[in-house]
Amino acid sequence: MSSLYFLLLVLGALVLQATALNFVSVYGVKPDLALVLVIFNGFLRGTREGAFLGFVGGVLQDLVSGGYFGMNALAKMAAGYLAGLGEGRLYRDKRVIAAGLTWFCTLASQLVYYLLLAMVNVQVPVAAALAGIILPVSFYNALVALPLYGLYYRSATKGLLKRGEV
Amino acid sequence: MSPLSAGKKLVLLGVLVAVMLLGLHFSAGSPGRLTPLESATRDFLAPVQRLLMIAGREVAGFFSYPVKLINVSRRNEILEGRVEELEGKLLKYKEVQAENVRLKKLLDFQTGVASQMNTEAAAVIGRDTGNWFGSIIINAGSKKGIRRDMAVITPAGLVGRVIRVSDSTAEVLLITDPRSGVGCLVQKTRAPGIVEGVAGGRGNLQMVHIPNDLAPGKGDIIITSGLGSVFPKGIPVGTVRETRKEKSGLFKMAVVDPYVDFNRLEEVLVIKSFHPGGR
Repeated sequence: MSSLYFLLLVLGALVLQATALNFVSVYGVKPDLALVLVIFNGFLRGTREGAFLGFVGGVLQDLVSGGYFGMNALAKMAAGYLAGLGEGRLYRDKRVIAAGLTWFCTLASQLVYYLLLAMVNVQVPVAAALAGIILPVSFYNALVALPLYGLYYRSATKGLLKRGEV
Repeated sequence: MSPLSAGKKLVLLGVLVAVMLLGLHFSAGSPGRLTPLESATRDFLAPVQRLLMIAGREVAGFFSYPVKLINVSRRNEILEGRVEELEGKLLKYKEVQAENVRLKKLLDFQTGVASQMNTEAAAVIGRDTGNWFGSIIINAGSKKGIRRDMAVITPAGLVGRVIRVSDSTAEVLLITDPRSGVGCLVQKTRAPGIVEGVAGGRGNLQMVHIPNDLAPGKGDIIITSGLGSVFPKGIPVGTVRETRKEKSGLFKMAVVDPYVDFNRLEEVLVIKSFHPGGR
């Protein structure tokens, strides 16, 4: 049941990304809230569940966005898996650590996305990709993770997102 | 999670990745089509997206209001100066306009391209959820006669073209998207080139393949060339910021500042038909 709540949360984040978050874009870049949620989930639940729910969340995004089906699924699965590697190794109750992990996993996920773009013949110069998207989104996501992680952590340990809760 | 063994989960994951890569391969071959599921999802989300866009705009306006007030006094002084300057220019402009009308009559040109177009107004109800692509969703679809490859403009200039259509929405590929290419001309020298988008949401454009001997200067206006069947001729695209040589050395390229503010798009016009003769 908690997985279903998580996916509903991801869907809500995607609708926000398509609409209201465009008004807080900085130099044309907006935070990827769905990716932040996938990273939080991986960090708190481990690699397998992180990768799986990252994959399903990415499929949702591919459905909402249209276009290249599978691209977000694979990029978010990679982020969920990577974040899961931090479970048990990093302090999970420190929001600064969560923000750092968000920065790193967003960077990796966006690099995977960049490689997939090349696979479908969408050519983006490396410098423009790094300076215009990959690094700014990584920092923006890390910034957003600072206030959001506390809420997510509480929900995952005591609230609706707690494993096994109905 | 289901109680599958680690080996089975690994196999399942491998299958999922393979299926996705296959899906990616095939969807890359037909980017213009929406699957029934995608189409239904988009139509279902359209009203929610419209409401959230309006709410987002209002909230952004509310929070930016105090900041605007701080600058308003200083801005007022600047604007008063500008009004005086513009009044002078307006007089000059009226003179030029009258001359222009006379010359156009002489050359049997139609005045303006707007009268030659049949357009449909639509509101922007959403954008791409990611940061890599530049596309918008508008609240007009096949029910209103919108079809793939129709050009989309604002009074300021060219916005893009329709790439996917559902019953009540359409997706517009912005000219700033890295997948976009528009045949254009430098208005002054008539030098041809292709205006391409650069990834990232900053709204950067570049015009490539400009002949070396016809390199545009800073401030030159770029318009659509009308070559191909998508964009009518003469729609303003932007102005040249700087020019440099392409890597091959055979052509010049120019960085172009678009007329349209792609981060603040609210309403657009879809060109349903275009009659160059004005009939």
